[in-house]
Amino acid sequence: MAERDMAELNIVKIQRFSTHDGPGIRTVVFLKGCPLRCRWCHNPETREARRQIFCRENECVGCRRCEAVCPVGAHRFDGERRHRFEGDRCIGCHRCVPVCPVGAIEGVGRTVTTEELMKTVLRDEPFYGQIGGLTVSGGEPTAQAEAVLCLLAEAKEAGITTAIETCGFFPERYVAPLSEVTDLFLWDLKDSCSERHRAYTGVGNETILHRLSLADKTARGILLRCIMVRGVNMDDRNFEGIAQTFRQLRSCIGVELLPYHAYGGSKAQQLGGVDNGNPEWIPTDEEVENAKARLISLGCRVI
Amino acid sequence: MEFYTACSKKRPIRLSEQTRRFAMESLQGRYGDDAMKTPYVEMSEIPGFSELSHQEQSNAAVLKLAQEAPIRICEYESVSGAATVGHGMRFAVPAYYNGKPILDHISHLTVDFMTPVRLGVDYLEKKLDDRTTGETDPVKLEELNGMKVVIRALRLFHGRYLAALKDVKPENYENLKNVPFRPAANFKEAVQSLWFTFAFLRLLGNWPGIGRIDLILGEYLDRDLKERRITLDEAREFLAGFFIKGCEWIESTPPRGSGDAQHYQNIVLGGIDEEGREVTNEVTYLVLDIVEELPIGDFPITVRVNEHSPERLLTRMAEVIRHGGGVVAVYNEPLILRSLVRSGYSEREARQFANDGCWEVQVPGKTYFRYVFFDALQLLLNDTLRLNTDEPAVYDDFETMYKTFLSHLENKLEEIYQGAIDWHLCGDPSGRYWRRGYASSSVSLFEEGCIENARSYTSCGTKYVSVSPHIGGAPDVGNSLYAIDRLVFREKKVSFAELMKILRNNWEGEEELRRYVSDQYVYYGNDDDEADSYTVRVIDDFAALTEQFRGRSPIFFPAGVSTFGRQIDWLPYRCAVPFGRKKGDILSGNTSPTPDTDFEGATAVIRSYCKIDLLRQPCGAALDVKLHPASVQGENGVEALKGLIRGFVRLGGFFMQLDVADANALLEAQKHPEKFKTLSVRVSGWNARFVTLSDRWQQMIIERSTQKKV
Repeated sequence: MAERDMAELNIVKIQRFSTHDGPGIRTVVFLKGCPLRCRWCHNPETREARRQIFCRENECVGCRRCEAVCPVGAHRFDGERRHRFEGDRCIGCHRCVPVCPVGAIEGVGRTVTTEELMKTVLRDEPFYGQIGGLTVSGGEPTAQAEAVLCLLAEAKEAGITTAIETCGFFPERYVAPLSEVTDLFLWDLKDSCSERHRAYTGVGNETILHRLSLADKTARGILLRCIMVRGVNMDDRNFEGIAQTFRQLRSCIGVELLPYHAYGGSKAQQLGGVDNGNPEWIPTDEEVENAKARLISLGCRVI
Repeated sequence: MEFYTACSKKRPIRLSEQTRRFAMESLQGRYGDDAMKTPYVEMSEIPGFSELSHQEQSNAAVLKLAQEAPIRICEYESVSGAATVGHGMRFAVPAYYNGKPILDHISHLTVDFMTPVRLGVDYLEKKLDDRTTGETDPVKLEELNGMKVVIRALRLFHGRYLAALKDVKPENYENLKNVPFRPAANFKEAVQSLWFTFAFLRLLGNWPGIGRIDLILGEYLDRDLKERRITLDEAREFLAGFFIKGCEWIESTPPRGSGDAQHYQNIVLGGIDEEGREVTNEVTYLVLDIVEELPIGDFPITVRVNEHSPERLLTRMAEVIRHGGGVVAVYNEPLILRSLVRSGYSEREARQFANDGCWEVQVPGKTYFRYVFFDALQLLLNDTLRLNTDEPAVYDDFETMYKTFLSHLENKLEEIYQGAIDWHLCGDPSGRYWRRGYASSSVSLFEEGCIENARSYTSCGTKYVSVSPHIGGAPDVGNSLYAIDRLVFREKKVSFAELMKILRNNWEGEEELRRYVSDQYVYYGNDDDEADSYTVRVIDDFAALTEQFRGRSPIFFPAGVSTFGRQIDWLPYRCAVPFGRKKGDILSGNTSPTPDTDFEGATAVIRSYCKIDLLRQPCGAALDVKLHPASVQGENGVEALKGLIRGFVRLGGFFMQLDVADANALLEAQKHPEKFKTLSVRVSGWNARFVTLSDRWQQMIIERSTQKKV
């Protein structure tokens, strides 16, 4: 264990008092790096493993100090002193972060040791009760599998309940060790149709389903989390697939639907890209309710 | 018919349609409007009234109100009796002389309702008679006589109701026939007894809290259930009548201000009794059922939670809290008990604690209470930094500045002590002489000590007397000190003199620096040990300074932390502050973080607050925790709320109110008040229908409810 204590993780942020990523009150660690490229990505700042920045151009006061310290010219100012941040050029050196006098530039990505993370996680221990605890999320946590295993093991040792949010796209060898230190897998099932899965995320779903069935053999609990993207995957083809998967799993406690929202788009813009949020994809409350009803009729327990 | 909820899940329906309709019409102001038709009774009609002594005038007013108050019997009421004279709801005894108030009203107390319910008013009358026998002191006789007049008036009022009920509502007649004069014989009589005594006290212009309703009524219900005299559904329906009648002071279009539901009708649930047994019983759950279904905020509820509180109790609290309105708040019972014992109460008496009708802790039915508030931020800005003068102070180091602030704080406490306590004791700390206060016979009758001492409530005849200094703006002082320490003394970004100049100029032309201190520093409420330490130090030092007065007189001087919304009244007297806020910005309320400075979520806010040694604030220190409805939705939302409550108790909090509110819904209510008549919000120790708040009060609630985007 001594060696494992030294592990470091590349994270985006730690969010306390999260009530949406597993049972009870949880502290969620968002890790950087993801092997998938979902077009509907809600957390674009977690995709790249490299460090980045959020640049909120609307908060800029035009002092141009960031421009002066940037070694690659990623901060540009046009004639009206309007700030233009070009994310493609950014090398994530974060020199501009401390010089911004108004905090309009925020570093995305930092390295922390599991020990430091545990300190924060333990701060909220009085609130966790029997069910709350630590959730490792991302990005894709298994992109930093070794360090994540350390963190989860440390949490278990400290008596904290653990959960991991995963897209399921990871090497087979991690399935067993993850099961050992994880109380609940929050397992994404983005689309039951593999071609569509490939078209919208960059990979097919075969590997993901395979790892899921493997994990099921040893997991203490699995919650399937299904994104609902209107006009893309909200059809019976997907619903029937979800239901089939649900029925096949031994340790699955239910299915949770996550309606698409477009806030990821504005974050993509702050990263120096374009706002790719798509309002068309946002399902109505009624459509989500219908999806729930359909899944229930197919035998799923929907949370 | 639907009542507002902040929750995506609708309010459950357990009550009958007619009870729900009764609630709706009461909430929409039918009975408040009705009461305003008789705003007061006119005392000039009594010949020679102006020549009477103050006590005699009060006696005459009590009798006249009992005699002339309109009788109101509502079609679906389960309990009878009503406070039907309108100006009772306007901080006044509604007996006027030539159209002007002449008698003072009493609030901030919870009287002993247990004695009238369990032993009956006849018992009190006997006690009064016994005490009068052989007494020769004319002042004492006058006080005792005042209390006898109250009983006479109660009999009169009671008789009028019995006569009116006999034919139209025979069941109500039966329930009221013996109470509150004789001990209640069953649950219905107990509820009726409690309500009638309460309504009568309100009629006379008092705003008492209710106290531990489950302790008062629980045994009756328990017995009736065992003997199958009543079912739980019937009991709920009956008790709902008590709560709906309690809305009789709601008007359809009340004057806007600090909110319409603040008549200090606080209720305390759960916790242990004198013997140390958990009180929580079926009445506890019925009360929670009722306020879950009906958005009645007029009886703000605080639950005494301890580490052994039943799981079911926490679950039910959470399920009610989710609907918003802040109807249910939390006391950390073990900490409060230790705090009270530490300040001089016996263990048994401490266990009886409730509040003054708001959230300030007191042992009810035996305590004269008042609090004296002050703005610590004004002390810092105007006394210590002298920013209200042309020559602001300059300090060379932090500790010198802080010590100066503490000396100003100490002066303030001395001033409060002198002003309040010496006044009551006529300057003699031995407690031999108590200044006679204005007439208060009606509440005195229900306060232990007043009959025994033949001295009224306002003359401090009660067993305990408590005057509490309340510090306000403490987190703003902490944040200001932190910003000065970092900006001036540690980072040396500006000199002390320069910063003072900037503050005098309201940060004008210093936007960059202002954004730097306001955005780059982390302040109280984010569980940052360094930032929190300044606020913690201020509040702990305030406690230590207050404790210096202990033992100087028989009057308790317990420290407390509050603003009760006064942060908006104080705005004109506060200049810009060192942590980047301009003059006029709404700052911290109670012990809560300054709006828009906390961004780590509810657990971090609670942890920051719990770093304060709250054991040393025996009167209380309130924390307002804002929660977005989305964060407490669904099954997991209930679990999350329970987690917050448990953590609060484990970490040593004192009093917490959880506001589930969506700032967008509140903005919508500002635009379309007509659609949001039953939307209730917690203001501080009281609730208010949002639409009855004035613009600036609404603004304060909205700012408090806005979630900082992370």
